[in-house]
Amino acid sequence: MRSMKIKTWVLTALGIILTIVLVIVSLNWSRNNVSDLMRVHNSKMSPVIMIPGSSATENRFDTLVKKLNKNNRNPHSLIKVKVTTDDKLHFSGRLRQGDNEPIIVVAFENNHDGYSNIKKQARWFNIAFKQLTKQYNFNNFKGIGHSNGGLIYTAFLENYYSSYSNQIKIKQLMTIGSPYNFNEKSVHHKTQMLSDFIEDKKKIPTSLSVYFVAGTETYNSDGLVPLGSVMAGKYIYQGQVKHFTTISVSGSDAQHSDLPQNDQIIDLINRYILDPQQKPQGRQGQQGRQDSHSPDLDGK
Amino acid sequence: MLVQILYLSAKLRNTKIASAVRDTLILLFPIMLLGSFAEVIKFAFLTKNGYMARMFGITTWLPYNNELSWIMGVVFHCTIEMIALYAVYGAAYYTAKEYGQNTARAGAVGLLAYLVIAFQPTADGIPNFSPFLMSQGMLIAIIVGYLCSRLLTAFENSKLDQRYKIVSPILIIMIISALINLLGMAMLKMEVPTYVASFVVDHSQSHALLYVLGLGVLTNLLAWMAVGGPFTNSPTFSDAPSMANMNAALKAGSSWNVPYKFTDTTLFHSFANFGGSGVVLALIIAILIFSKKSKNRNVSKWAIFPAIFNNHYPMMLGIPILFNPVFLVPFVLVPLVNMLIAALFIILHWIPAVAYPVPSGTPGPLIAFIGTNGNWLSLILGVALLVLDVFIYLPFVKLSDRISQKAGEIDEN
Repeated sequence: MRSMKIKTWVLTALGIILTIVLVIVSLNWSRNNVSDLMRVHNSKMSPVIMIPGSSATENRFDTLVKKLNKNNRNPHSLIKVKVTTDDKLHFSGRLRQGDNEPIIVVAFENNHDGYSNIKKQARWFNIAFKQLTKQYNFNNFKGIGHSNGGLIYTAFLENYYSSYSNQIKIKQLMTIGSPYNFNEKSVHHKTQMLSDFIEDKKKIPTSLSVYFVAGTETYNSDGLVPLGSVMAGKYIYQGQVKHFTTISVSGSDAQHSDLPQNDQIIDLINRYILDPQQKPQGRQGQQGRQDSHSPDLDGK
Repeated sequence: MLVQILYLSAKLRNTKIASAVRDTLILLFPIMLLGSFAEVIKFAFLTKNGYMARMFGITTWLPYNNELSWIMGVVFHCTIEMIALYAVYGAAYYTAKEYGQNTARAGAVGLLAYLVIAFQPTADGIPNFSPFLMSQGMLIAIIVGYLCSRLLTAFENSKLDQRYKIVSPILIIMIISALINLLGMAMLKMEVPTYVASFVVDHSQSHALLYVLGLGVLTNLLAWMAVGGPFTNSPTFSDAPSMANMNAALKAGSSWNVPYKFTDTTLFHSFANFGGSGVVLALIIAILIFSKKSKNRNVSKWAIFPAIFNNHYPMMLGIPILFNPVFLVPFVLVPLVNMLIAALFIILHWIPAVAYPVPSGTPGPLIAFIGTNGNWLSLILGVALLVLDVFIYLPFVKLSDRISQKAGEIDEN
C-alpha cells in the first residue's frame, strides 16, 4: 500500500516536470517559428532569379545587368550561384545594403543540352533556390530564363515549386527564346519534354504572369531556335496562368545568342519584370521595417 | 427512478446485439491500441511536421528514422485506417456466436460483404477501397456484420434444401452489397471541411460561432457512433480562414485582431479536442483518480500515451465510449462547454485567437499556447478547462462503476 502511494507520487512529479519541460520547449519553438515566419512574410526582398541557357556560365547576364543598371540610382546587386555536379553551391557577388531587388544568376557546371540534362538542372536549381530562400528570406520573386533556362524554370515550377508555394510567390516569368519543342518547327511532332510539360501544366501557379519573348532574325527563327518551338510553350502556359503574353523581337541583336543584350528586351524586362522604380529610400532603408512602398507585401 | 434507469441500461447491456458489439470492441481494443501507438510515433515523433519531431528535431538525429517511420506507417495503415474490416468480422462472428451458429463462416461472409461495399474500381484494375468506409465506417461495418450474420442464421434455420442452404444466403449478400456499392459511392463523396471553411468566410462572426459550435457537437455525436464527423481531420492551417488569420497575425505581429476569430481551428481544435474527440484526456484523468473499476483503470493507463498526442481510439474501444449511453452526454457536453468558454474569452478580448501554425500531435492545452505564440492566459485557460472537464466527467464515471456492478448482479441471477 505504501509503495503504491510512493509510486503514484513519483509518477505525478515526473508528469509535472515533463509538462514544464514541454511548455518551455514549446514556447521557445513557437517564438522562433513565428519570428522566422514574420521575417519572410514582412520581407520586402523581391529578387530576380535568372537562369542562362545551355553552354552558358553564371557570367551570361553580365552585359544585361550592366545595361539595366545604367543611369539607375539604385543599381541592382548581382549575385551569382554556380551549382556543381556534386550538388555544391558556389556563391560570388554580394547584396548591396538596402537593395531589395537583387539579380541572382543560377548556373550549372553541367550546362549541356538535352532533356535528361534539363531535368538534372531543374533539380540543381531547386537546391540553389532552397538555399536562396534561407539566405534572403524573400516571399516573392521574378524569374527570367534564357533559352534552356526557360525550360529549366518550367521543369522547376512543375516538379519542385509546390513545396514553396505557400510562402513564396513567383510573380512573373519571362522566357527568352526558349525552345519548348527543341528544334521541332511544328507542334504536330511533340518532343517527350513538351508532352511531359503539358501533362503537368496544372501544377504551374495560376497567379503567375508569363511573357514569352522570341527573337526573329528570319520570319520563322532567331537563327537557332524555330519560332514554332518557342510558341509551342503556349500549350503549357496559356489558360493555366493569369496572364500570358507573347512578344517577338526583330531588328539588330535578334539572333538567339544576342537576345539577352537586346535593348528592346532590356526595355521589356524593365517594364514587365522589375518592380516599378521606387523613390530613393534615404539612409534608413536597410532594415526594411516600415510599411510604405512595396505593393506586394501580401504574397498570397 | 435512478435505480430503474440503472436496471434498464444494465438489462440493455445484456441483449444479444449489445453483447455482440461489446465483444467486437474487446476484439478490436488491443489491435487498435497498438495501431494508435504506431500512429502517434509516426505522426508526432517521426514526421517532420509532428510535435515531438519539431520540438526535439528527432528526424535530424535519430538513425534509421525513415525506416522506423515506414514501419509505423504500415502498422497504422493496416490497423486504424482499416478498422472497419476488423469491426465487420467481429460483429458477424460474435452475432453468430450469440445465435449459436457457425462463427467462422459468418465472419468471412461479413468481410466479403464489406469489401464488396467499399470497393472502388480504378483504371488500372488494382484493388482499391473507399478510405472513408475503411477508416471511418465502423458503424456501417458493425451493421453490415450483424445483418449478414442474421441472414445466415435465418437461412440455417429455414427448411430449404441443403443444396441451396449453403449458397443462396451468400449470393443474396453479394448482390445486395454490390448494389449498395453502386448506390453509395456517389453519396460518400461529400467534402464537409471545405464547406466549413467557406461558411466561416462568408458569414458574420456570430453566425460562424453558432455554426462551429453546432458542427463541433455533430462531430462528437458522430464520433460516439463510430462515424467520422466534419472536424475529424486535424487542423491543416491551409484553409482560407486559417491562412487569412495567419497572414493578418504575421503582419500585425500578434493574433489579437485576426479577421476570423471563430473557426474550427480557433475553438474546436484548440480547446475542445484534448486527447481527441470528447476531451478524452479528461476522462482518463477522471477514471485514474476516481474509478474503482480495474478494467477501466487498465484501459486508461494504456490510453495515456496516445491521448497525450490526441489519439482517442484506445478509450473509444476500451472503456468503451462507443455506443455507450452513459458517456454520450459528457462526451458531447464537455467539448461544447470548452468551446463556449473559449469563445467568451475571445469575445471579452482576454485571449487572442489561435492563428500561428501548430505542429500535428501537439498535446491538448499546448495547442492554444503555441497557436497564440505563447499567450500564457491561453495556456492557463486550457489547463483550467481540462480540470473543469474532469469534474464534468466525474459523475458519469461513478455511474458507469455502479452500472457494471448492477450488470454483474444480473448476470449472476
